Amino acid sequence: MRFVLRRLGFFLITLWAAVTTNFLIPRLMPGNPALAMMARFHGHINPSALHALEVAFGVKNHQSLVSDYFSYLGNLFRGRLGVSITFFPDPVTHDVFQALPWTLALIGSTTIIAFLLGTLIGLVSAWRRGGWLDGVLPPIFVITSAFPYFWLALLSIWLFAIKLGWLPLSGGYDVTGTNVSWTWAFVGDALKHSVLPALTILVTSIGGWILTMRNNTISVLTEDYVRMARAKGLSPWRIMWTYAGRNAILPNLTGFAMSLGFVVSGAILVEFVFNYPGVGWMFLQSVENQDFPLMQGLFLMIVLAVLTAILAADALTAILDPRTRDVR
Amino acid sequence: MSASSIGATDQLATPPVGPAPIVAEIGRGRWGDLWRAISRNRKALAGALLLLVFVVLAVFPGQIAPDDPAAQIFTPALAPSWHHHLLGTTASGQDILSQVVWGTRLSLVIALAAGALATALAVIVGVSAAYLGGIADGILSVITDVILVIPIFPLVIVIAAYRKNAGLFMLVIVLGALGWSYGARQLRSQTLSLRTRDFLESARVRGERKLYIILFEILPTMTSLIVASFLGAALYAVLTEAGLQFIGLGDPNSQSWGTMLYWAQNNEALFAGMPLWAIAPGVCIALLGAAFALLNYAFDEISSPALRVRKLDRRRVPKRLPAPARPEPMPVPADGPVLKVEGLRVAYATDAGPVIAVDDVDLEVARGEFLAIVGESGCGKSTLLYAIARLLGSPLPGEIIGGRVLFQGKDLVLLEERELRRVRWRDLSVVMQSAMNALNPVLTVADQMRDACRAHSNMSKKEIEERSREVLRLVSIDPVHLHSYPHQLSGGMRQRAMIAMALLFTPDLVIMDEPTSALDVVAQRSLMVQIKELQERLGFAVIFVTHDMSLVSHFSDRLLVMYAGQVAEMSRTRELFDRPRHPYSQGLLEAFPSIRGPKVRLLGIPGSPPDLAHPPAGCRFAPRCGHVQPRCTAAEVPLHSVNGSLVRCVLVENEA
Repeated sequence: MRFVLRRLGFFLITLWAAVTTNFLIPRLMPGNPALAMMARFHGHINPSALHALEVAFGVKNHQSLVSDYFSYLGNLFRGRLGVSITFFPDPVTHDVFQALPWTLALIGSTTIIAFLLGTLIGLVSAWRRGGWLDGVLPPIFVITSAFPYFWLALLSIWLFAIKLGWLPLSGGYDVTGTNVSWTWAFVGDALKHSVLPALTILVTSIGGWILTMRNNTISVLTEDYVRMARAKGLSPWRIMWTYAGRNAILPNLTGFAMSLGFVVSGAILVEFVFNYPGVGWMFLQSVENQDFPLMQGLFLMIVLAVLTAILAADALTAILDPRTRDVR
Repeated sequence: MSASSIGATDQLATPPVGPAPIVAEIGRGRWGDLWRAISRNRKALAGALLLLVFVVLAVFPGQIAPDDPAAQIFTPALAPSWHHHLLGTTASGQDILSQVVWGTRLSLVIALAAGALATALAVIVGVSAAYLGGIADGILSVITDVILVIPIFPLVIVIAAYRKNAGLFMLVIVLGALGWSYGARQLRSQTLSLRTRDFLESARVRGERKLYIILFEILPTMTSLIVASFLGAALYAVLTEAGLQFIGLGDPNSQSWGTMLYWAQNNEALFAGMPLWAIAPGVCIALLGAAFALLNYAFDEISSPALRVRKLDRRRVPKRLPAPARPEPMPVPADGPVLKVEGLRVAYATDAGPVIAVDDVDLEVARGEFLAIVGESGCGKSTLLYAIARLLGSPLPGEIIGGRVLFQGKDLVLLEERELRRVRWRDLSVVMQSAMNALNPVLTVADQMRDACRAHSNMSKKEIEERSREVLRLVSIDPVHLHSYPHQLSGGMRQRAMIAMALLFTPDLVIMDEPTSALDVVAQRSLMVQIKELQERLGFAVIFVTHDMSLVSHFSDRLLVMYAGQVAEMSRTRELFDRPRHPYSQGLLEAFPSIRGPKVRLLGIPGSPPDLAHPPAGCRFAPRCGHVQPRCTAAEVPLHSVNGSLVRCVLVENEA
């Protein structure tokens, strides 16, 4: 229980740090560029929405920093992130929730697959150390993990979409075809559009999981309890999974939490290259359009998503490791 | 509460158990060792070579690039060199190859500068957090963890969006300031593990200042970790810089690979038939990244010796000396030995070549006998046990290179793992030194008992539960603890639970490796009494390894004294206590006080056991022996049989 509470506390501290950073950045920048943006708003939106924006970006200095900060926190708490400029007059929350499902489906599922697959490959290659699998996969994926995500995305577009014409160039679905709906045609089309971006993320992110799991397993294999399991005459299968794997995956879950930010960063660029209608693409669009409210709302969304995934990894740790469940 | 709030890595990362005193530890060393380790590692060499190529490109772009990267050339030069426009031109007619070559400089400089800044911050934060401890550590660790999990790249984008064209200097600062946390975490836990080491204690006692200790005592031992942290940060900087430039948030007028990609993307190079415009700079980023990644991977291996595979070079194993006629083994009681070991040799592969940890050991254990093996740490006694139980070999270090282990009429050395599994636990079980490490922390005691039962019998769930309770009662543990996890039991209970587990099938032989060493004296005593009682009741034989001779004096039938991988003396226990014949046995006996005997000065044995990589010629104990004679070092000393004892010493030659 202590463990879960501690992690929950960490979650809140980190979220607070992100929210505060978000609040401070526009104020710390010389010649607040949000000023120019605000000028464009006057007379276009209702006064309360305008006020929320002013508070968020510190445009009018009629109030103290502290009271601005608390009104900002209050607005956040009620889900008021302001109004998007790009998609005026949509509230930012509306745009964020439109992009979120795409990103969760693409990056969320790809990351989980990459983690599971990488962990499996890492476990097996450590177990059969020096075998052909161990000799081939870890070195290859160590090198691919150094590839820039966006470059691999460009390359795969060039090869599979332009040269070979197997898969669609970009987008999340065929905008000229079916409408967004839960029909087979649409889902199939969306899946087809997700193949290249998903493979790009998979190939670049899997190396990290393979390597950490492999190294963890190698050190777990020298533990006395693995030696003991061998002395007990257990089947190799049982030793690999329940004695080596179960213990080696615990630090790997921690590693998952720590590398997630890196994966998400790469995935943002992948969405950008593929014009994939997710959070990352919208984030970069908002940067380009100087749509600061949308940009900062999306930034918070990204942080929240990463932190939630980390919390999930912690919960899994608590389930898999009985030591974290007891008060110590 | 531990200040590190992320997961359980710290307590899980126990150092691998191995033959510590004989395997040379590399990676903690200074620059010389580090250099040797790098030059031997193929991945490190490949990475270093790649990096070198880029350094050369970055230093001499003018000499290498065929053209001015900015010149817009649409007509071929008058006398084009062979590599003129080798990779084609950009949309505005600039030579791609030249741009790539010139772009190296900025990409590399940013990577190295940001990497250096991040590493400096990592060292400062990580080491001072660990060294200061307390509240400072708590605060620094939380900050580190927060920065670690906040996705940095989006944050950099947010900052860059407000400060467009802030310049590359700003980029280095931001990348460095945000990329230090992972290294800091690792350096912190490494420093924590160093903090209590002897050499730091001695520096503290000498009265050295904290700063001196950190700079000259701690940092040099972490060279490879610092280098790894630098490589990681540099890799991260390469990729992030390229990404930022690519989306146009860097400086589009600068000359780097990322900017090339930005312009290529803006001009739709892939569609416009100029794919090399986008591919070439990307390949360079990938190669530079790969160089850092390969070096990083190699440094991982160098800094944790467990990750390296050492192959035993059998050609370098010293030949067994032509043994003088072996004395007949000591007579054992009539109903035949349960275990017979003949000429067993075990080698460890080390960087300095093979080390023979168990050299030509013979022994027999009679049915129901209690044989104790004693010796200082590093004498090869645990290795001997694991060799008998066939627990050496991949993934663990150590390999049997000769001899036989006869058990139930079979030579265990020759059995396949599959056949071995039938013998294991049913007939031969093992109790390990530290029950905390020998019980799987994520399974309950019941789970671990069930695993053993399932592997060797068709017992039903109920029968397994019954039997598990029964063996727990045998070692006086209340069966309510059956469904506890190891960490919920006390040290003594864990040790008993492990003994209970070893008795599930009432085997013929139980091998025990210092099962009491983690307990206090009172608990040790009561556990010994219990083991002896169980042994007499159930009739199994025991091989019991300990460094504490007094512990087994009342329990063992025979004693085997090991020194430097060899049998020094083997006798009936009483005989050995009354008349130790080998000077080493005498030394061991003098090392602890007798309760009833007259008061004598405790002498102990001067010096320490020899380095088994270079054992002394002749008698291995000679350098520490008070009775040493010239002939001791002239030739290998054989075992002599004296009054039913075996003694490896020239002094008993006349008695033999």
